[in-house]
Amino acid sequence: MKAFKLENEPKISTGFKTPDHYFDDLSAKVLQQINEDKKEVKVIPFYKRKKVLSILAAAVIIMALMIPIVNNYNATSKELDEDTLETYLAYQSNLNQYDLIQNLDAKDIQKLNKNVAIEDETLEDILSSTPNIEHLISE
Amino acid sequence: MIDEKEFIQQLLDPKTQNTAFQQLLSEYQRPLYVHIRNIVLNHDDADDVLQNTFVKVFQYLKNFKGESKLFSWMYRIATNEALTFLSQKAKLNGITSEALQNKTIDNLKADIYFDGDEIQIKLQKAIITLPEKQQLVFKMKYFQELKYEEIAAILGTSVGALKASYHHAVKKIEIYVTSN
Repeated sequence: MKAFKLENEPKISTGFKTPDHYFDDLSAKVLQQINEDKKEVKVIPFYKRKKVLSILAAAVIIMALMIPIVNNYNATSKELDEDTLETYLAYQSNLNQYDLIQNLDAKDIQKLNKNVAIEDETLEDILSSTPNIEHLISE
Repeated sequence: MIDEKEFIQQLLDPKTQNTAFQQLLSEYQRPLYVHIRNIVLNHDDADDVLQNTFVKVFQYLKNFKGESKLFSWMYRIATNEALTFLSQKAKLNGITSEALQNKTIDNLKADIYFDGDEIQIKLQKAIITLPEKQQLVFKMKYFQELKYEEIAAILGTSVGALKASYHHAVKKIEIYVTSN
């Protein structure tokens, strides 16, 4: 058999054909596909949603578990408010005036003076309504 | 055609994008179709791959750096798409790429979009015995009649290497056709 030489042969075509009018509507098809891709809503994979949900659930559970702790913290708070202290001193304490005075220093007394500043009118009222005023004056 | 940089700008600008892309399609659809068809061999697959190629071109256009020409960049995308398509199809059928191509060539005889005879079939059979790169070079040079410089830009190899590749391919094909 004679050796086949590509360059000696007439050009061999591929023999491939395309359907009639194939290229006429190709660009329309491609553009449609591109526009569809643009419009497509971004899909969130299910596992991602699940992950977010589980993180949220964990956060809610932790917060729920923390409620008693927060409550306890407030209840056992060591800071006493003034009302509680006053009530205690007035009703429960066996401190007497003398003890109190003993524990006051100069600053406390100054503070007290400011707090107990009584206006003249109030003083007059007290004096006039007190029957044993003479006794007080003589003292 | 206007300056390529300007044309790319038009492709990226939403206002001019549609018209510019239409122009790109009408200019490149035929040569890219032929290129893809030569790799995947049947029309339906070539149609799929060609559409995907243009969609990819559109998607990646903003990343196109202009380092190469638009022409060779698009040919490169088309080549990759076609080769990926072939290997995926082969995998799906559980056969090798070569076996798949063999099967496709056998089916060509019954293909309404193929009007070749014995010699075309024989030539295709000879081509698939070549390594992938030689197949590409042979098809681009012999069937598509691209210049070596163009093929070099598309495949990212030197002109010298391509000439050697083509020469080897022709020799092997001649031996195959003579002995079959």
